[in-house]
Amino acid sequence: MISHMPPGLIMILAAFLLPVIPHVWRQIYMLGAIALSAYGLFLGAGTHFVWTMLGLDLILYQADALSLPFAIIFHLAAALNVIYSWHDRDWQQHCASLSYAGAAIAALHAGDLVSLFVWWEATAVTSVFLILASGTERARKAAMRYLLFQVTSGVLLLAGAAILASTSGDIRFTKMDLGDTATWLIFIAFGIKAAFPFLNGWLQDAYPEATPTGTVALSAFTTKLAIYALARSFPGTDILIWIGAAMTALPVFFAVIENDLRRVLAFSLNNQLGFMVVAVGIGTELALNGAVAHAFVHIIYKALLFMSMGAVLHQVGTIKASELGGLYKKMPFTMVCCIIGAMSISAFPLFSGFVAKSLTMSALGDAGIIWAYFVLLFASAGVLEHSGIKIPYFAFFAHDSKIETGEAPIGMRVAMGIAAFLCVGIGVFPSLLYSILPYAVDYHPYDAGHVTSQMQLLIFAMLAFVVLVRLKLYPPEIPSVVLNSDWFYRRLAPMVGLPLLRMVMLVWSGLLQQIRGLVNAIWDRLDRIMHSPLAGPTVSGRAVLVQAGLLTLLLLIAYAAAG
Amino acid sequence: MSTPSSKSPSDLQRLGGIFTKALLGIAIVLFGLEFFIHRHGVVSAEESFMFPALYGFLAFLFIVQVGKWLRLMIMRKEDYYD
Repeated sequence: MISHMPPGLIMILAAFLLPVIPHVWRQIYMLGAIALSAYGLFLGAGTHFVWTMLGLDLILYQADALSLPFAIIFHLAAALNVIYSWHDRDWQQHCASLSYAGAAIAALHAGDLVSLFVWWEATAVTSVFLILASGTERARKAAMRYLLFQVTSGVLLLAGAAILASTSGDIRFTKMDLGDTATWLIFIAFGIKAAFPFLNGWLQDAYPEATPTGTVALSAFTTKLAIYALARSFPGTDILIWIGAAMTALPVFFAVIENDLRRVLAFSLNNQLGFMVVAVGIGTELALNGAVAHAFVHIIYKALLFMSMGAVLHQVGTIKASELGGLYKKMPFTMVCCIIGAMSISAFPLFSGFVAKSLTMSALGDAGIIWAYFVLLFASAGVLEHSGIKIPYFAFFAHDSKIETGEAPIGMRVAMGIAAFLCVGIGVFPSLLYSILPYAVDYHPYDAGHVTSQMQLLIFAMLAFVVLVRLKLYPPEIPSVVLNSDWFYRRLAPMVGLPLLRMVMLVWSGLLQQIRGLVNAIWDRLDRIMHSPLAGPTVSGRAVLVQAGLLTLLLLIAYAAAG
Repeated sequence: MSTPSSKSPSDLQRLGGIFTKALLGIAIVLFGLEFFIHRHGVVSAEESFMFPALYGFLAFLFIVQVGKWLRLMIMRKEDYYD
């Protein structure tokens, strides 16, 4: 029976017991719950659990070649997060991250849009606590904005599903053609969570405000769930190539000048999602393999980078580039792990990013979409700039910040070590990754021409960095805020909206005053009539007059009805 | 780089020197390999001599320069939203 339970659901149920389990046992218990959930994957492809409710067939457990690689990496990320937060005694955060991971895994196995909606919203309401757990007013506000976007995404998804249910009656979570209102609503719902351009503000706004361990969990699930949803529903949708290409290129410029290193990683996350979105847009077997492989390795190296920055934040108390530097002697292990993550995301040969990104680039070449190919090549130099160089350089080198600190707790180091090992392992033995991709792979990333091309791109881009630093032309880190698309609703909307609102209120109160004056005038007139009646006795009081009026009306209606 | 004197370079400066030399070494090897290895390109221009190197170098300079311009437009004080 337990094997027929939707994977992930068991993690959500297990989270309810976390408050009563003592520290350390709690971590072991969580690893057990994740293992039990992963055990459910052995059921293999097929539809395993259907619940008929209100005439709808809710497919709660459906697995196929697309859901499997995501399910594997989501379980792995959840386990890594438990190890990384081993030192943490705050059960609320563990509750949030375990149920968040569980909801994301359950969403992968939803076979219909209504079940997907339930888990889609569950990821939102569980993950928001990871941001709130920071305990600052800043984090609280960011969490509310985050929640607003996430819930909006869910509502759009539900609206799309409702239209589909009422028109075609088919709410299966499957391939759709973008065209009518319903599919557009669903597309935008996925787009919000995938951080499409101008819908991405929540990502850079909220992720860096979460706790050191919380950001690691956040980086893994929501956005990759959206990539999975796009790959399932909209493969080969041309517009995704344009959207994805913009996503790869634009965040690059913001990341150069951002001072908060976790926010730099959030921009970088956005850029990486762009590669996956482009791959989904191409839609060929090679490209979809590329999207899935990229999501798989990305979760590991992005978690590794967030873990290394989380370790620095945990030890030093700040993650601002302008305040850091020279930590390579104090935190050598973290530095090595960070550089492995940086080399993986930059797609150096023998690291995981290379074997995954190559699939997408080759698919672009095969499809003959040359402009996008060169945009992604340009974005690759951008990845190297912000994640490959900037992150390790400003945290561990740059200048001696004279910060006295030591290595992070053992759990953090073990998790970073495992992630770093996986980055290199997948890079050296790509067949391990290729064997779990949705389509059969006959691809060899390590041919001499391909490797030298990539090395030329990376090494000469690094030389450009060295030249800029030596000539003192590289922009120094400045304590600052970089405006992003969240500016539109955090500043522009209040700037335009508040005066508008004030004007509406002014007109409204003026109108109310006029009406009140009119009513008073009518009463005054009535009072005068009552005190000097033309005929009959004086009617005392307004209430009696109103009652008399109402009774007269009733009488008239009764006459009309009888007549 | 904050307190070094020119006589005794700091550890960071030494590291920087080693890093630069290593990079230059790899760059020279890549330059040499260009005469022996045929790279496949999506378009013919990509197969021209040291194309990815030039593309990477220029792309990096472009990104940093645009970043600097962007700073003039969208950089605000840390308490901007507070």
